[in-house]
Amino acid sequence: MLESLFRRLVTRGSGEESDPSGDDVRTDGGTVTKTATESTGGSQRSWRESEFVRSLPFWLPPALLMGLFVYGAIGWNAVISLTEWEGFGSPDYGNLDFSMYARMLADPTFVAAARNTVVLLVAFTVVSLVVGLLVAILVDRGIRFENTLRTVYLLPMSLSFVVTAIFWAWMYNPEFGLINVVLRGVGLGFLANDWISDPSTKLAAVIFALMWQFSGYCMVVYLAGLRAIPSDQFEAARIDGASTLRMYWRVIIPQLRASTMSAAVVLMVFALKAFDFLYVMFGDTPGPSTDILATMMFREAFSSSNWAYGAAIATVLFGLALVVIGPYLYVQYQRGDL
Amino acid sequence: MAELTLDHITKVYDDDGSDIVAVDDVSIDIADGEFLVLVGPSGCGKSTTLRMIAGLETASSGDIRLGGDVVTGRPPRDRDIAMVFQSYALYPHMTVRQNMSFGLEESTDMSDGEIDSVVTDTAEMLSIAALLDRKPGELSGGQQQRVALGRAIVRDPKVFLMDEPLSNLDAKLRSQMRTELQRLQEDLGVTTVYVTHDQTEAMTMGDRIAILNDGELQQVATPLEAYHQPANLFVAGFIGEPSMNFFEMEAREDRLSGDQFDYPISQETREAVGDATNVTLGIRPEDVQLVEEGSGEHDFGTVVDVVEPMGNENNVYLSFETDGAAEFVATIDGMRSLDAGQPVVARIPEDAIHLFDTDTGETLKNRSLAELEETEPRF
Repeated sequence: MLESLFRRLVTRGSGEESDPSGDDVRTDGGTVTKTATESTGGSQRSWRESEFVRSLPFWLPPALLMGLFVYGAIGWNAVISLTEWEGFGSPDYGNLDFSMYARMLADPTFVAAARNTVVLLVAFTVVSLVVGLLVAILVDRGIRFENTLRTVYLLPMSLSFVVTAIFWAWMYNPEFGLINVVLRGVGLGFLANDWISDPSTKLAAVIFALMWQFSGYCMVVYLAGLRAIPSDQFEAARIDGASTLRMYWRVIIPQLRASTMSAAVVLMVFALKAFDFLYVMFGDTPGPSTDILATMMFREAFSSSNWAYGAAIATVLFGLALVVIGPYLYVQYQRGDL
Repeated sequence: MAELTLDHITKVYDDDGSDIVAVDDVSIDIADGEFLVLVGPSGCGKSTTLRMIAGLETASSGDIRLGGDVVTGRPPRDRDIAMVFQSYALYPHMTVRQNMSFGLEESTDMSDGEIDSVVTDTAEMLSIAALLDRKPGELSGGQQQRVALGRAIVRDPKVFLMDEPLSNLDAKLRSQMRTELQRLQEDLGVTTVYVTHDQTEAMTMGDRIAILNDGELQQVATPLEAYHQPANLFVAGFIGEPSMNFFEMEAREDRLSGDQFDYPISQETREAVGDATNVTLGIRPEDVQLVEEGSGEHDFGTVVDVVEPMGNENNVYLSFETDGAAEFVATIDGMRSLDAGQPVVARIPEDAIHLFDTDTGETLKNRSLAELEETEPRF
């Protein structure tokens, strides 16, 4: 796969149509005449006129900047994770090994954080998708005030995570938080809980708050998907005798695969870096029941100055992000969208 | 199998306070096994009528009866109907087999084995058995069309509803499928309501055709009746290609007087016209005879404006004045050649004319019936 991708990039860049299969077809739909192809090979002048060289000024500067500051930083971080860098001073690059990764496996804090990260990732994604889908289906059924409701549902998405975190910290407050006040008000006071201190509800409370913020986004993605399905699909299913529930389950939802896929990738990547939300709510020590890799990384690196250990956690997070995006990119590549 | 009755059905849409009548008091009795074509221009309410029979729209008033049962208020699943959509509406994520099984799985208690054998049999009948494991996206338009038909046929419904099922096919495939669809319907003997805007489909396929305009039923008749004995001006103009020539005339004592010519009428015709003063004279293009020299009172001097050769026949556009725009069409034998600008005499025989009341559109007189008997021989 990588090989063919590379070949595609090269043929696109060099301007010499070296595709062995079929005719020489240009991207504008025309064909390259044989004489033109021949004249590009060989001489010095044509080398300078090749598409590759002439396009350099356009893509090289941004490519270099991206390479240095994004991929360079990622690479540097990976190198630091192989050192023993701690506290003040600078890293010793002479002695690289995987000791930080070994330390991770033996560290119960890391195992708990990794487990929480996976739970958050899966539960948050699934719950947000399901709620988003349900809301999208309801909004799509031609209800009144549809546009208003759509805006209302999407609005949380426009809030900063810091705002959401402070807002939900207040909602969950055991004394005057809205949830407990309402529960006591309707006579369900026994259900009232210290939601974000109780280790058994802490992670669920975080997931619920995040879902509140992101299900609106899922709704928009699903709504676009639903609108793209022709109405005669719904009608054909009704004529075929399917009940509303069965119609959605067997005919409509399977056709929303592309929407699910793209929304899921966005949600999962976000779940991996849900740092700011937790940091605002709990500071850098959310406790073992809610600690995720992102908060742990920050704590190890910037609070405890365990730079190498923090870098190693960051590298693991990066790997997880690749695992999440990888399948998506692969599907896109197979469809020829990449 | 059952007879289908539309009993004074009306559909009114509420459009921001103002009512829009899409279907206005339509009543049709469709016999068991009959192929009825609903035809009319866009927006005439034919699709709405079909969707009301299907249960996708609710009738504002009136009853729909299927085999004696009133089905008006029932959802589609309880009506025992199957529908073929213009876009086919095949489920893109299912294979052909799954597409065809879906309706049986949802609406019957048949076991998987039974469903499978019905689907396979139907696929063989439609010669799409080889495509059963493919998805709709991999099929050509004609194949998708067959799958859509198959999906309706496996249900073994009391009524087939078809909403312009052939309009997405190219011309050649369309005429092929037209014949095949007719043969299938005859073999299966299932009552069918077929919606189209194409009058060729209506003429060739229907046992009877129902012509709609502006939500109102204009005429229900066999294709030849509708052609030779239109109930009103609209039907006369809608059925037939090229369409009937119309001249607006004023009824006088012994003639019809128009801007371009006066047309003498016999006593019999005069009686048919009755009290009407504004009269529209209609004549089918093939009934206009082009002769070398005019002698009779129904012969008129004209000039050829444009000739459209069709091979088997020529459509000749005629004008009463030199350099005038074409005012009417005559269809003549394809071997006879005429040139633009050439003067010819058009004979409009009195036994072939139709007369309509211009104000109401009602037919006053149709072409003589004696000839119709001859043109519609019974074997």
